[in-house]
Amino acid sequence: MSRLLDKGLEQLTTILLKMGDMAEKTIRIAIMGFMNGTDVGDETRELSETLLAMTVSVEDKAFELMIKYQPVASDLRIINSYMKIAYDFERYGRYALDITLTQRRFAASQKCVYSRDLLEKMAEKVVLMVHTSVDALKSNDGEMAKSLANIENEVDAIYSEYLDKLSKAPSGTKCLISTTLVVRYLERIADHATYVGESIYYIATGQKILLR
Amino acid sequence: MAGEDKEMNSSDMAEKVCVGQQMPAGKMQSIQLSAWFGAKQALTDISLTIRASSVTAIIGPSGCGKSTFIRCLNRMHELVPGAKMSGQVLLDGKNIYANEVDPVLIRRKVGMVFQKPNPFPTMSIYDNVAAGLRLTGMKKGKSLDEVVKHSLEQATLWDEVKDDLKKSGASISGGQQQRLCIARAIALEPEVILMDEPCSALDPIATAKIEELIVSLKRNYTVVIVTHNMQQAARVSDFTAFLYLGQLIEYGETKNVFENPKRELTEKYLTGKFG
Repeated sequence: MSRLLDKGLEQLTTILLKMGDMAEKTIRIAIMGFMNGTDVGDETRELSETLLAMTVSVEDKAFELMIKYQPVASDLRIINSYMKIAYDFERYGRYALDITLTQRRFAASQKCVYSRDLLEKMAEKVVLMVHTSVDALKSNDGEMAKSLANIENEVDAIYSEYLDKLSKAPSGTKCLISTTLVVRYLERIADHATYVGESIYYIATGQKILLR
Repeated sequence: MAGEDKEMNSSDMAEKVCVGQQMPAGKMQSIQLSAWFGAKQALTDISLTIRASSVTAIIGPSGCGKSTFIRCLNRMHELVPGAKMSGQVLLDGKNIYANEVDPVLIRRKVGMVFQKPNPFPTMSIYDNVAAGLRLTGMKKGKSLDEVVKHSLEQATLWDEVKDDLKKSGASISGGQQQRLCIARAIALEPEVILMDEPCSALDPIATAKIEELIVSLKRNYTVVIVTHNMQQAARVSDFTAFLYLGQLIEYGETKNVFENPKRELTEKYLTGKFG
């Protein structure tokens, strides 16, 4: 006999799987756009915003299930993990949008790729990781999920190789690059501070707002 | 394993026993405890260590032996005609079923609170708490007054009844009656308090008070609670034992049992996937 909770978990799974497919699609579009010098900003923005809205749906549904059924054991682990995964899928979409916005700001409608071979290799690995993460979720395959660590090591190696290459650039360019990276990290920290702010506002008032 | 579910094999069993034995020595310990009602076996080889100054919850479906188990912990099981047991139950390392042990003394040291509040209806609140002590020969006087007050305070009932100590024990609310029964048990200065579904007859507010009381009691006592309410077990207990068909399936820290149970049967029970 199916439990009342099962229906809610099915709904949650359906939203999350849709998010996975959508997030993967968003990343593919953004990378293709960058490589080909095509402005796909509007499309990725729409997808990214949809992913954000779906994350909120996952959170709402997860809260509802926790309130109604006080899940424990595997049910609790599923709901907790689904909330985290939804956030990660939302981030996939947001970074895809960031790629298109960077392209739009610096090199709209141009092919502007430094070290294309490395970028292609890295993009291929990242898309594989995204696809694997979505596939692992669909098949609930722990071993497949673990395989992500190996590909991530390869991505890290390419990133490191790329930075090594940049470090050989002339002094002025080096400073520009390192400062750009630092600025990027600072901007990400600021983003996360607004997320913390959103959570605190929710704790204090019960109202959900977007500060981002 | 008679009556065991099909999903458990011998290696599961080995691990199950290990789960029970990994617990450090505690206040009470059952060793291969089995119990019967006539020819019907209610418990099979339960080996379980109950830690001092902690709350241990016993959970499991109806008829799994939860109440029988705790009744074996203070020798109440043997009061049922035709009931028998085998194995050992240790209190501070000493077998409470040894020939020389007085079961009445054990029941003082290991008190019991029942499912339905059962104050003596013809007695006042004061007398309900003092009843057990009077049976042991303590006379009305300052020390008895102090014990009654202390017991009612420990049961977080004093402030509510201090001006009505002469009122009937049956005149107060169900939740207060249950705390009165806990005070009655505390008055005998037990070391362990067994509670058999202590909140099942109470409303949510009275239940919350009893749960707060259970958690506060562990400062001075070792508490074992039988409950059908799994959320209650999760809220109040430090350790949880899951019984099924008279056998110990899993025992561990409550957080671990409720978050990541080791046995599939436990998982199925907790998540309502039984049957």
